[in-house]
Amino acid sequence: MQNETIRLSQETKSRLELTPEMASRCYTCATCSSGCPASGLVPGWDARKAIRAVSLGLDQEVVDSKWPWVCTLCGRCQYACPQGIQILKTFRGLRSLRERDQVPGPLHKGTMMNLERGNNLGIPRDDFLILLAELSVELMEDDEEKPCPGFYVPVDKENANVIVTINSKEPFSEPDDLKFWWQIFYAAKEDWTVSSTNWEGVNWGLFTGDDASMKEQVHRVLENARRLKAKTILYPE
Amino acid sequence: MKTWFPEAFEEFRVVSIYDLLVEYIQSGRIKLDKSRFAGHKVTLHEPCNYFRKSAAAFGQDYSSEYRYIVKNCFEEADIVEMYPNGLNNHCCGAGGGAWAMPYSQERIAYGKDKADQIKETGADIVVAPCHNCRDQIMKSLSKEFDMGNCKETLYLWELVAQALIIEPWSEEEVKRSHALRDAQYERDGVELESEEF
Ligand code: SF4
Ligand code: SF4
Repeated sequence: MQNETIRLSQETKSRLELTPEMASRCYTCATCSSGCPASGLVPGWDARKAIRAVSLGLDQEVVDSKWPWVCTLCGRCQYACPQGIQILKTFRGLRSLRERDQVPGPLHKGTMMNLERGNNLGIPRDDFLILLAELSVELMEDDEEKPCPGFYVPVDKENANVIVTINSKEPFSEPDDLKFWWQIFYAAKEDWTVSSTNWEGVNWGLFTGDDASMKEQVHRVLENARRLKAKTILYPE
Repeated sequence: MKTWFPEAFEEFRVVSIYDLLVEYIQSGRIKLDKSRFAGHKVTLHEPCNYFRKSAAAFGQDYSSEYRYIVKNCFEEADIVEMYPNGLNNHCCGAGGGAWAMPYSQERIAYGKDKADQIKETGADIVVAPCHNCRDQIMKSLSKEFDMGNCKETLYLWELVAQALIIEPWSEEEVKRSHALRDAQYERDGVELESEEF
């Protein structure tokens, strides 16, 4: 869109449900883009331009660009913006305007996988339970430095104090990393549990701009806590 | 959660990992040994979600909890802050799901700032209390850029686990736990190959 004259008409309107603080109050000072680590990474785009485009109703141009996806939604711009523009809300909104099959990478697939099978990577329940049991044995005995005799992972335990979720990346490819928290729980003698289903702790719907999936994911965390009568929910990082 | 299910906060106690770790340390439920990290210098990466965004959404960030936890693992003199830090700290470049996106060149270029920040501190350990940040710093930035002295990227809970003093449970406790475990495995049909445990 550089160097072309753009004609605006009455019909040029943003598809986002725009409120003034999402774009139009911007006075193009560029505080956002000057402190943004992503400036210069996507030719033709930066934070200020994207906000400006939205306020002019040209949001489709931003939606079609990779800007909203290369921006990490880190919020540094918004924190600094003198006009209080809700830049994150606007950019996340732009992500959600992308056709679902055009969402880059495995994020949307993972979100759908999670809805269908209870975690982003589609790990089956039995594999999950076996893995936890095997890792428990390792932690209990094999760890020479810090053995944890008596340790196991309490799955679907009712009335536990704390219920936790798990980042599917760990059982999938970095299972040993699960042990850090387990050691802490062991030392603290925490009464904890994890659900055997829908245990995913990562909400990719947040990243794809998919509110319905995101809500469903949060709902599941709550349902697990209710079913198992847990007192405390440890919210994932 | 706050927007969609406000009732959850009445039904349950909802805690972050920071709250929980602080609680364990303050109440003495876990004991940490600072000598584990003697001779090391550490710096703190602040993930956007728990700092800037939490500050914007709930008026609360976890800066002080975060530092409290690290101070229980390290001598204060061995903690070096990044510049800028706190709410102006730089994103690692893997936020917003970037780790899982096909734009790896952009993701890496984005992270250059972070790598420089880490290098300038001269620390040999960087703490990353978030899965995305840790993967980005450990698996990507450390390979692409010169991060100076920095050799290790640890999750906050990994740091705590390393400093942890673990006292094995009493025989009584182990027995009770094994009984619960066996009942659970029976219920779930979990069978392990090795029989000796
Ligand atoms: S900092 Fe705010 S007001 Fe300034 S250009 Fe960016 S969005 Fe507009
Ligand atoms: S949220 Fe996006 S636009 Fe704003 S500073 Fe971070 S990367 Fe840049």
